[in-house]
Amino acid sequence: MTHAIFLGLEQAYYNFAGMLADFFPRFLVMLIIMAIGLLVAVALKYALRAILGFTNLDRGSSEAGASRVFRNAHLPAMTVLLSRSLFWLTWFCFILLGLSSLGLAGFQVEVLRGFHFLPQLSVGLLILFVGLMTANFLSQAALLAAVNAGHASARKFSWLIRFLIWILTISMTLEELGVAGKTAVSAFSIMFGALMLGLAISFGLGGQEIARKFLEKYLGSAEKEHDREPNPL
Amino acid sequence: MESDSSFTLSENTFLSDDLLRQLMDVGEVDLLVGISSHQNEKTAGHALQAVERMFQRHFTRQRAVIVDACAESKEGDEPAPSGLSNVAGDNRSLSEQNALRTIQQVKLKFTAPPSSGVAVRTILAAADLLRARACAVVSPRTAGLSPDWIPNLLTPIYRDKFDFVAPLYIRHKFQGLLARNLLYPMSQAIFGCGIRELYSEEWGFSSRLGAACLSQDIWDEEPIRARPEAWMGISAMSADFQCCQSFLGQKLQATSGSGTDIVEIFRQAVSSLFWCIESCQAEWLIGERSETVRTFGLEHALTDEPTNINRGRIFEMFQSGVRELEPILGTILDPETHAEIKNIVSLPEARFRFGTKLWVRTVYDFAASYHHVVMTRDHLVQALTPLYRGMTFSFLAEHSQSSPDEMEAASQELCSEFQHQKPYLKEKWKAKLEVES
Repeated sequence: MTHAIFLGLEQAYYNFAGMLADFFPRFLVMLIIMAIGLLVAVALKYALRAILGFTNLDRGSSEAGASRVFRNAHLPAMTVLLSRSLFWLTWFCFILLGLSSLGLAGFQVEVLRGFHFLPQLSVGLLILFVGLMTANFLSQAALLAAVNAGHASARKFSWLIRFLIWILTISMTLEELGVAGKTAVSAFSIMFGALMLGLAISFGLGGQEIARKFLEKYLGSAEKEHDREPNPL
Repeated sequence: MESDSSFTLSENTFLSDDLLRQLMDVGEVDLLVGISSHQNEKTAGHALQAVERMFQRHFTRQRAVIVDACAESKEGDEPAPSGLSNVAGDNRSLSEQNALRTIQQVKLKFTAPPSSGVAVRTILAAADLLRARACAVVSPRTAGLSPDWIPNLLTPIYRDKFDFVAPLYIRHKFQGLLARNLLYPMSQAIFGCGIRELYSEEWGFSSRLGAACLSQDIWDEEPIRARPEAWMGISAMSADFQCCQSFLGQKLQATSGSGTDIVEIFRQAVSSLFWCIESCQAEWLIGERSETVRTFGLEHALTDEPTNINRGRIFEMFQSGVRELEPILGTILDPETHAEIKNIVSLPEARFRFGTKLWVRTVYDFAASYHHVVMTRDHLVQALTPLYRGMTFSFLAEHSQSSPDEMEAASQELCSEFQHQKPYLKEKWKAKLEVES
């Protein structure tokens, strides 16, 4: 009986030692891959930051209105953001590579899926970023134009433009990621259609007088007489 | 001299063969007047006649040329009306009663309307190739353009060796408030040289200044394409060229305009000034200059006819503008300046005043934010418009009964304030933009 127990324990020990002997080198490989990845990611981060520093990207992004979007979202400057993104993306790839070297059952399939999802994720993030920037730029342009032309509800108008572009951006991003794509597109179509129909009905039936004034204001000269300002030059 | 001409030719490669041929036919000249009749066909005839009469009356012995930026006539089109009725061909000698010399005309043909910058650049290139000693640019749009105006632009250059001549006009007391309250005092404080009408459609320049401007690689910049005249004036001021002002007469221009037109003029003029301030920062950030500009004739003359300006509407647009643009103004202005503006915006119309100190600080905050590109520069300039309206309203209320001398005193006080707060601008200009990293 005692002998059988010792044999069992010995077997378990050998099994464990065998597993450890099998696992430890792979674990070391994983750590080495991750460490190399870290070094490569840091090197790429600084290289990109140096290259972008030469291109005056931060100034350009300020001019395009991107810096304001970042500030509102408590994000750093464009150069820092891009170099950090590259750092994490590179290291993330190396981490996945390292983990796959462990050879854990089922994990490799997940890693492969993760790699396949990366391009979609990148494109999705790009769409989101461009969409937010466009929304910011166009809504600001609309706000300034409306304010300087003396229109009432300039800020509401600007928010409407921002909101529409956000909705469009979000639905495009979700579709790209394959997350509830059809639902998002349908929701957007319904919302946009309802908005346009609502505007058409309210403007056509309820707001004929407003429509007349609006057209007079833009096409006629009657309004301009009461808006006279001193000639600036 | 040889190197000079080779330099000139390399710089002028944008000129068409046809234009070069016309210029070679003309040879060298003493005086040149540039005019842009493109899209101004109705008034171009009058302007060309005025220039011709001016040459016949005042410069009988000098070799003179008129350079006209005009539309290329299409097949079947009637020729554009011209004041020069008895001449044929593109390069024509004009009718002469008194002139001892032939007055030539060169046509710069454009298929599409050229921007002011393109037209001026071509005129400068023509002046450079023709070695014109004194040049002037006049606008056919200017109502009441008199033959006696142009000698006042050319003579200080031709006889007194000045390099840049800005015009002075008799104006309505409420006309040109952007020039009076921003462009003139700010440019004087920064460049140390006070020119009242930097943004004008008439001005004069020497061949030296023309060649210096032509050699600059800035002609594709939007502010230069829109308002090249101010840049020429500022280049002259900041590079030690001799500048002066010359009185021309009464500018027959509408005292008021529609809001939309005014916003566009404001955008162009302020963008151009801010751009010039930035491009000349090496000069004004280090050096400190103060020069009195010589003036030929009257320096300030104002008229006071009734106007149809809607003051209440201007005030409303100021109030709504400041309220609606609060987040944008918060990004551009210093927090203290922004807080003060928010305080005055709630004042009733009768008690409202936009103080000179606050106005100067506001403008300097905008200039510094333009330099640091805190947002799209065009948006930034547009965001100043409601505040300019506030200043305009305050000015109209304060000076409704003021005499020209009182207005001049107020103008000088504003100039002093801009000068006084210049260190504030320098400090904000040099400050690093806070970027979270």
